[in-house]
Amino acid sequence: MVLGSLVIALVSHAFLVQNRLYTTQALRTDIQDNVRAATELVARDVRETALGGVMVAGPRTLTVRSPVAVAGVCFRQGSPDADVMSEGGAAALDADAIAGVAAWRDTAWVYRGVPWSALRGNDASSAANCAATGADTVGARESFYRLSDLNTLFPGGVRVGDVVMLFRETTLTIRASQLDSTALGLFRADYGRAAMEFATGVDTTARFQYRIGPDTYVDTVTASGLARVDAVRFVAGARRPPPTGAADPVTFGWTVNLALRNVR
Amino acid sequence: MKRDERGFVVAFVVFMLFVISMAAATGYALVASEFTLARYGGDGAEALTVARAGLERYVAEQLGTLTDTASYALGDGVAVVTARRLAKEDPVTALYYIRSEGTVHDVFSPNTSVRRVVGGYAVYRRRPLPRHAAVVIGAEAIHAESGGRIDGRDQSTLADCPGGAGSPIAGAIARLSVSEASDDDVRGDPESRIWPGGWAAIRDSIRIRWDVLSDPDFPLEFENRLPDFGSLPADSFPVVRYSGWVNASWSGRGVLIVDGVFDPTPSFSWDGIVLAGHADDHIQGHIDGMLIAGLDGPNMYSTVRVLTDVAYHSCAVDAANESLSYLELIPSSIHETN
Repeated sequence: MVLGSLVIALVSHAFLVQNRLYTTQALRTDIQDNVRAATELVARDVRETALGGVMVAGPRTLTVRSPVAVAGVCFRQGSPDADVMSEGGAAALDADAIAGVAAWRDTAWVYRGVPWSALRGNDASSAANCAATGADTVGARESFYRLSDLNTLFPGGVRVGDVVMLFRETTLTIRASQLDSTALGLFRADYGRAAMEFATGVDTTARFQYRIGPDTYVDTVTASGLARVDAVRFVAGARRPPPTGAADPVTFGWTVNLALRNVR
Repeated sequence: MKRDERGFVVAFVVFMLFVISMAAATGYALVASEFTLARYGGDGAEALTVARAGLERYVAEQLGTLTDTASYALGDGVAVVTARRLAKEDPVTALYYIRSEGTVHDVFSPNTSVRRVVGGYAVYRRRPLPRHAAVVIGAEAIHAESGGRIDGRDQSTLADCPGGAGSPIAGAIARLSVSEASDDDVRGDPESRIWPGGWAAIRDSIRIRWDVLSDPDFPLEFENRLPDFGSLPADSFPVVRYSGWVNASWSGRGVLIVDGVFDPTPSFSWDGIVLAGHADDHIQGHIDGMLIAGLDGPNMYSTVRVLTDVAYHSCAVDAANESLSYLELIPSSIHETN
């Protein structure tokens, strides 16, 4: 009977240890998934940032502008519209994400916040107009469309041969989670839309940093220095409370540098 | 052990084996799934890199007439690049949309591939070299020796090409002075001009990518050798590049790039454009077109003496200039389209 009790105690202890290990491992896998997913989504938004597209750069908030589409101006209406071409045309645009339009001026984009509803022009002759000015429209007539008000939005208007960008404005925020009141969450919001939490359990160490020199990273960049940002460092960390029987919380984190590939 | 308990043990062992097998199978499926996802994620990133690299290579390599489609093997993938003209801003400037599709094939599952597409815009600079003068040299002085002739008047006629018999251009341009042994050795409208801005002003006014054209890594079909002009169409004006100290003693046509010192002999004859890092202190031979030298910095000889003829020929210059046409990518216009 003593031997039997001893065996039962040993087996029970082994079970509890195994169970704790399993739980810890499951938590670790969970937060690693969280960190990976958060990094992937942040990277996707940040890497596509357009030149001059960093609008807010704080440790817990980052707002960037990136292209929904880049279009070439191939025909200018008298006033105020212009016919443009981008791959797939207006039908291929994620119209709800468009926060405005920017025009390329020698070395920089000039941004204007305008909703798509105000930009969208209606005319079926864009392809024909552009063909008349030398555009090759064969097999791509649907890629040509009209944008309204371009010539009043930008000083001097736009010219044939100019390039314009329809941009989205995305804000990434690290703040109190809506799903777990004890933790932080990573939120993403397109301009004019509600923020969506796409990673929960974010650690308090998580933050954004900004490269403004070859080896200089800062947590906050003021408006006058935003143009110098050429990379974003995402310090990604996640935390879970300790599993039953364990003393320490489960944590995981890494730091990734995300180069703004369009900023050069 | 009683006879009727044996079945229970066998059933228990079989059950446990089943549970362990299921756990192992589930674990394997999980790991395999993660592995596949990670691999596809990596392939996607590579496909994007291939697409971007293909687009930039296409733009960088275009010289002369544009190719509509090009295909490049890059890394583990292939980039297929196409160009579409969107607008003609003027006869020598056009906007193009460049599309590059990068595809990476997975060797473990050949039927699937990862595809990413990027687009960008580029300006096509046709005939980029401005016709400033028959001779432009970043030297302090140009002197036309007796028997030498620098002529900015168009030597071509309408019979040579539709744009022939054009307006005259300046005869010679130097940094400080242009002189002649006797009247009419230098002709043009005006005969000469002085660019005190020096080498930088001359280089900037040329509007060609000298750093690219003189780079040995920039591929040209004719490198330190001449084409067989007899086998080329009569309207073909190829780009030829020589390096080092070049004692040119041949005849030909097109664009002659000398990445070094251009030192022509009396038997040299060229129809088109000569671009040189430096000019020797004595220019001999015969050029029907234009000579531009001193592109590597202030010319190594402060005075260049022209002993024979350099005469502007608009038809030869236009044809050679066509071969220098190139694409200029609009910065920050590259974007992913899928």
